[in-house]
Amino acid sequence: MVNPILLIIIPLGTAFLISTVAGSLKNSTKYLAFLALLANVWISISLLPQVLKHPVNVIIAGIKPPLGINLLVGPMGAIFSIIISVAGILVLLYSFKYIEGEGQSKYYTLFLLLITGSQGMILTGDIFNLFVFFEILAISSYILVGYAGDRNGFEAAVKYLILGSVGSVFILVAVALIYQETGTLNMADLAGKFASVASGKKMMIMLFFITGMGVEAAIFPLNSWLPDAHSSAPSSISAVLSGFVIEVALIVIIKFVYSIFAMTEILQYLSLVGVITLLVGEFAAFNQGNIKRVLAYSSIGQIGLILFAMTLNSEAGLSAGMMQVVNHTASKSILFLVAGYMIKMTGSYQFTDYKGIAKKMPVSSFLFVLGVLSLIGVPPFLGFFSKLNIIIAALAVGNTFNTVMVFLILLGTIIESVYFLKILQIFYIGDPIKGGVKEAPFTAVFPIAIFAVVILLGFLVLPEINIYAGSAAAELFTKIQITQVF
Amino acid sequence: MSGVISISLVLNVASSGLILLGLYIIFTQKNLIKIVIGLGLADTGVNVLLVSTGYIDGNTAPIFSNSALNISNMVDPVPQALVLTSIVIGFGVSALALALIIRLFEKTGTLDTSKIRGLKW
Amino acid sequence: MRKLVSIVLLAGFIFYFATLTGGLMIPSASDERSSVGLDILSRTADETGSANAVTSVVVLYRGFDTLGEVTVLFLAALGISVFMKSTGGVRKKALDQSFILKTGSRLLFPLMFLFGIYIITHGHLTPGGGFPGGVIIATGFFVVLLTSESVEFNKTVMSVLEGLAGLSFIGLGLVGLFGPDNSFLQNFLPLGDFNTVFSAGIIPIIYAVVGIKVAAELSSVVFAMKESK
Repeated sequence: MVNPILLIIIPLGTAFLISTVAGSLKNSTKYLAFLALLANVWISISLLPQVLKHPVNVIIAGIKPPLGINLLVGPMGAIFSIIISVAGILVLLYSFKYIEGEGQSKYYTLFLLLITGSQGMILTGDIFNLFVFFEILAISSYILVGYAGDRNGFEAAVKYLILGSVGSVFILVAVALIYQETGTLNMADLAGKFASVASGKKMMIMLFFITGMGVEAAIFPLNSWLPDAHSSAPSSISAVLSGFVIEVALIVIIKFVYSIFAMTEILQYLSLVGVITLLVGEFAAFNQGNIKRVLAYSSIGQIGLILFAMTLNSEAGLSAGMMQVVNHTASKSILFLVAGYMIKMTGSYQFTDYKGIAKKMPVSSFLFVLGVLSLIGVPPFLGFFSKLNIIIAALAVGNTFNTVMVFLILLGTIIESVYFLKILQIFYIGDPIKGGVKEAPFTAVFPIAIFAVVILLGFLVLPEINIYAGSAAAELFTKIQITQVF
Repeated sequence: MSGVISISLVLNVASSGLILLGLYIIFTQKNLIKIVIGLGLADTGVNVLLVSTGYIDGNTAPIFSNSALNISNMVDPVPQALVLTSIVIGFGVSALALALIIRLFEKTGTLDTSKIRGLKW
Repeated sequence: MRKLVSIVLLAGFIFYFATLTGGLMIPSASDERSSVGLDILSRTADETGSANAVTSVVVLYRGFDTLGEVTVLFLAALGISVFMKSTGGVRKKALDQSFILKTGSRLLFPLMFLFGIYIITHGHLTPGGGFPGGVIIATGFFVVLLTSESVEFNKTVMSVLEGLAGLSFIGLGLVGLFGPDNSFLQNFLPLGDFNTVFSAGIIPIIYAVVGIKVAAELSSVVFAMKESK
């Protein structure tokens, strides 16, 4: 059996290795990072069949939980692990040409640590360990947002850092209170003991936790950092931040609410928050002129949709939400990565400057169109099926509240289509712009094309996707059993 | 529990006070350095809260330095380990924040968040 | 908008802490509560052989957290070196302090270094260990740097040291993966005599690695800050 701890250890060790050999290897350290993520992809995929049969419990330091730290990998963990590794390696490949200049080995070290943090947050079975990986993820994102070294980057990084630190204070207060009340930090142990906590304190602990994690998950009204951070970061980093970082934080919230805190009474409020987040994101995206800000606001909208789907208190909703995560990761990565080279070629962030760019960058523009279609939810793209499943799941719950919410979601989708079609129209209509605009290099187009294959041909493997997403949903829906661990 | 104020209570009042003060500074001040100081205060408050969760009145440090000590009069070692981690993380974040702010100051010439408006705050 | 949000947040917080401290005024039966920590306390001496229970928690029971913590420091140092890379501006002339301060700091440096090593190697016996020891060593560098700015340190050595220390931490952990329990960070060395320097298996070794790493990272933070002037 491949030990899942390697998913965390390999990128972390490679990051240390790069820092050791950066002096002599100079810019070839990127291949080390690539190898590390290749190993990660292989391990996470080979993990999936095992966890479908039985969740894998990894004991660290030979000490049985709850005394020590453990990793607890179920279908949800394995699926997210695959999403993180695959999206990670594709974006890394894109970075090969995109990130230039001296000191790029630092970029790859940071990138690997970002992957380490995300994997750790998904796989760990201990709440304080979750906090540590959360910090690794958060700090590496702050640095990467400011990596470009321009004014906007620093400003966005400072803003992100301040809000993120406030969030981490909230999470730590929740952890301290949990330890005070239950005397344990292990998730499975906690799931058993949390019910005996006084209900007022339970609610407080949960609100602290959701607020803290919600900053990173960009839930309204805690998301004011996101448009700046995601639009000011290098485009490869925007793709990763939008692609899986916010989803990782969101899935942690969902996991805690369902299977650890087991407080389903709060779900309806969260789904309302989800729809508000969706509408705020889509309306704000409508008025933007900066292409990356459009995409960043659209991410807020999508995260709201995923939050809504996952808080329906039904397995169908969770499963549809997982599908939407896959769809959002692939399509938003496409959009950000293509936008990265358009910005690089034209030197402008305003999409009104991209008139007729499709004639100069035909492949990139075509991939952009595919990403947009899947994000809006046009059949037969993956996005159509995930949105359809979300709506079916919401209507299956069958109360007036959810029906109204479905209408609001459809309204959000219409707005989304309008502003995206506006951009596509500029791409394809009009005289091609002057200047040395040319197609993006192969190392950029190839990873984007792979993302496109996922959303384009996803419907061929729809039954399999449903099985995997369904088992992940089942894992989230049932309380973590103490017997799985001991 | 005699009439004296217990140390746990003092620790709790101190931690809530520090967190509140820190958050108040973060949300109301406009100077970035002051905001980082606020972050530091809030971090310290959380650390105090963490330590207080393992505190048992009258007990000693959990070190078996001589055989006369036994576990019934020691405090809980886990929160102390957690607080070590949390202090280190807090240090890392503030150092990074200050480095970023130095750079931002070089670019914009001000530390006032209401004047730095390249993006929307 | 910002004002409004902050007022709402603060009001919620004040309300919350009022309830929390209110609940604590009532003497609770905290002496009889059970917690993971108290369980650990009763087993640590036999399981880990470390006299300092906090150390055994930091290095073994929650050793994975410590690896993450070291990574956070590594990240902070890396981030500062990314942001502080010299922008090509005019560097201020190095300014040395008076002869007395310079000589004093150079006299202090070996003593601080030695004290740091003492703290690191006795981490499993007394309060201390890799983090405080590493900080003390880094402070030694800082004192020298404060008094004689013209001293140049080799940054490459520091970053190699950082990376190597991190790799050894992971390497020590991986040895355990091939041990009987297939468990990362397993204590694979004999526990030795309780309450002596050579005891507690891999705990002192890991703490030594952590100490080196912390010292190298904090020193490189200071160097990066100095470089940027």
